Amino acid sequence: MTAHRLSVAALVLVMTVAACRPEPPPPPPAPTGPTEEELAQMRADSIARARADSIAAAEAAAERARAEAERLAAEQRAMRMTLEQMVNFDYDESAIRPDAESVLREKVDILRANPSVSLAIEGHADERGSTEYNLALGSRRAESVRTFLTGFGLDEGRFATSSRGEEEPLVAESNEEAWAQNRRAQFTISGDEDLVSPR
Amino acid sequence: MRHCGVSVVVLWALLLPEGVAAQERDSIPGVTLGLVYETTYTPALGIRPFTPSLGADQAAAQVEAIIARDLRYSDRFRMMDSIPEALVGEGVDYSLWDRLGAVWLLTGRIEAAGERFVLDLEVHDVVYGRMKDSGRFDLPNPREEGFRMAVHRVSDSVVEWVFDEPGMAASRIAFSMIPLGSATKEMYLVDSDGENLRRITNHGATVLSPTWSPDGSKLAFTSFKSGVARTWIQELELRSERMIEPLRTGDHITPVFSPDGETMSFAVTSGARSGIFSYNIERNCCLTHLSGGRWNDISPTYSADGDWLVFNSNRLGTANPQIYMMPGRGGEADVISPYSFDRPGYFTAPDWSPTDAVVAFHGAIRRGTYHILVARVEERGQRVRQLTWEGNNEDPSWAPDGRHLVFKGERRWGKGLFVVDVATGNTRVILPGVDVTVPEWSPALSGG
Repeated sequence: MTAHRLSVAALVLVMTVAACRPEPPPPPPAPTGPTEEELAQMRADSIARARADSIAAAEAAAERARAEAERLAAEQRAMRMTLEQMVNFDYDESAIRPDAESVLREKVDILRANPSVSLAIEGHADERGSTEYNLALGSRRAESVRTFLTGFGLDEGRFATSSRGEEEPLVAESNEEAWAQNRRAQFTISGDEDLVSPR
Repeated sequence: MRHCGVSVVVLWALLLPEGVAAQERDSIPGVTLGLVYETTYTPALGIRPFTPSLGADQAAAQVEAIIARDLRYSDRFRMMDSIPEALVGEGVDYSLWDRLGAVWLLTGRIEAAGERFVLDLEVHDVVYGRMKDSGRFDLPNPREEGFRMAVHRVSDSVVEWVFDEPGMAASRIAFSMIPLGSATKEMYLVDSDGENLRRITNHGATVLSPTWSPDGSKLAFTSFKSGVARTWIQELELRSERMIEPLRTGDHITPVFSPDGETMSFAVTSGARSGIFSYNIERNCCLTHLSGGRWNDISPTYSADGDWLVFNSNRLGTANPQIYMMPGRGGEADVISPYSFDRPGYFTAPDWSPTDAVVAFHGAIRRGTYHILVARVEERGQRVRQLTWEGNNEDPSWAPDGRHLVFKGERRWGKGLFVVDVATGNTRVILPGVDVTVPEWSPALSGG
């Protein structure tokens, strides 16, 4: 189609050059436009183009929405996982370890952005040591986590602490590795409303 | 006396398994760790086969077997096992029994009385050639549930007749254990002789730390049935239970009945507001703060008169729990476990004797394995007697005779429910192959 239009223009140009000659030019032929058929085709083509464009735009929008929803869901999951991520303790200790500290600080950020969310903190001990002493040790661990969190200005009432002593090991084995995993604080989020991201 | 003591030490050293003897012993500076058992005299006791009336043969044999084992388990007699045929019959030939080495002699006659039986029992002092005491006992049919406990009470009478001290046959032991196919511990009872094991809770959640009411009718314990640690009370006869509503924020753990039977003490653990509290469970009133702070005071146990309370605390530093004693209504506390500044140790799970100012607990100077220890409270931890030397041993609880302790033991062959006689050091396993938690011996039981 473009080639056809160019050849028409070339024809006009040739004729203009010819007009410079002394002989009077013959009357130019009546310009020929697109035929009726061609016009109909062009209309149909533009409608199809517009439709394709709007479908693509809608698809892109839907894709963007889906990706955003996925991102939000992943973010919710990540925030919940962060809130529920366990922290571990040294043998017979309730002090917050440096590795636990960074885990807890991430919780603090989310809890600050979500003032209505509360956490239940459950303290656990490994199987070594006395049964009743370990019940108290579990309490101390849960309490130590709560003290750390409230140290960032979070309201104490948002954290319920309790102990399970040595009664619910994560790994039911008797070795250093199992004990290290069993000395822990576990977290349960109350409510399932969406969390607000701190960022 | 002193000479006897020394020979006992030598004997112990010889009896100790090689591994244990080679092991380095813990020593506490300034503390005497007693090795020596009291050199008790255990007199020989003969039981003449009980004379049955018509139709009472089987019952007579059963009653006699239970009494013989109870008296052996009392660790107060040297039981004579083969009795010459010539000595069976009526009348007591003291000089003959004397020549056989008997110091005491038990004779009995059993008669059927309808479905039940009547036992006439006599204890004879062979050395002085006279009857020391006698009694008539109404016994249920051996098919009845209360039969064994009724016979155990007869055994305790014999101990009382001879020594004027309480026995412990008519008693039970409560403890937790994970039932087959379950994930959490439930409460069990077993008779003092290891018979009649049965489960008494179905909480589907961890149940721990039993305590008996002074009359033996109720058992209180910690249960997680509600989701967190709370105190529950069961009326044993009716199997009815109730939870004591939480009185403060925090876990409610390690309950103990006071000797008045109305008040209960327990620990509430909740950070700086932790402590031991007492509460009247009959009138649901009068919560009293006895001790506390962030030391985690736990595991209270009363003296028999209720005037003193012994408990476990971290006040000399966390991870180094010690045993303390304070007035029963609260007040200043003194350490009674072997504390030493540079080697504080780990001592937990105290239980005050029902008959004496003696506390049993378990612990170690180093971490790892624990042993059963007893200390007189007035010695303030300066002298401690160690009752176990092998494996791991935890959570001692006194029998009503103030002489035996039940505890959780672990040996190379496995775990079990152990009993040790504090006077002689005799140790036996009354339930082998079970993983028990925090056993608690009942008072003397008057009912079935």
